[in-house]
Amino acid sequence: MQKRLNLLITTYTLLTVISVISLYVLGEKRVDVYVSLNILAYYVSYATLRPTIINRAVRFLNIALFIVFTIIVSFRIYEVLTS
Amino acid sequence: MNMRLLVLGLNILVVSILLVVYGILIGDNGLVGIALSTSIIGGVLVVYSTTPQDPSITALMSYSEILTNAIISTLEDLDLLESQICVIKRGNHALLVYSKNPCPIEVDPGVGFTSGSPYLAIPLKTLIEFSESSSETTSTLLERALTTLLIEEYSACRSVRVEEEGGFYRVYINGLIEVLKQYLEKPIDPYTLLTLMAASIALTTRCVRLVDKRIMPDSILLIIGVEHSAEKT
Repeated sequence: MQKRLNLLITTYTLLTVISVISLYVLGEKRVDVYVSLNILAYYVSYATLRPTIINRAVRFLNIALFIVFTIIVSFRIYEVLTS
Repeated sequence: MNMRLLVLGLNILVVSILLVVYGILIGDNGLVGIALSTSIIGGVLVVYSTTPQDPSITALMSYSEILTNAIISTLEDLDLLESQICVIKRGNHALLVYSKNPCPIEVDPGVGFTSGSPYLAIPLKTLIEFSESSSETTSTLLERALTTLLIEEYSACRSVRVEEEGGFYRVYINGLIEVLKQYLEKPIDPYTLLTLMAASIALTTRCVRLVDKRIMPDSILLIIGVEHSAEKT
């Protein structure tokens, strides 16, 4: 179980570092892009390397990140529709 | 709790918050984005530091192995392999009893005879203390006790659900741990033991007995019967 958790954290961190560096090199200035890609990296890692046991705190984290991601995406869609 | 992960997560959080402030002050949104991203990593590490660690499961495995080996040979000698299993409360203590008779109340720890048939009674230590709420039903109480014990304490399963039906309690334990599944077919398994113990505490009854046990690939259904309500002291 511990190995799986370590692998999840390592994968998530690697994906986040790659995405963040790529965005900065490309000159991306929108903060929400960094945050939303980070959340995507977390969910991709979680979906492929889901820990055997999750507690209430992890469930709450998943819900909170999903809400933040939804808000960011909704805001961008709203911007596109109103522009 | 994993202290290393917690300390690492907190450090990353602190540094990233400082970076966010710095990024805002110098007006670099890219840096703010990187710092916020890093703070999310710190937050995730802090949350995952609260997940139960392997040693609790290893301890439960060791305990199960020792208990199983010791009890099975005794049960074979007493011809109690097909016996009834119950937990009887005696004041602040509880006894796990194997007997051909359902819920023999007058038993002492160890091996003995009651109503003409042998029994094996093992003293149990109370593993949880919890407060009751008058608004909760007995099935909710039992579910809460089992969640505390099986999930939060030992991480022995993914979820627990309790339903009351005609005086019996159907306990659904889902997402069993691979290393503990080997004990399911044996006369004593950690899930049954912990469930009976939690039931004897949560249901404030003198005796709880295992009526039926159904094993599925990744879950187990335990049907528990309650006998002789305890008098309040």
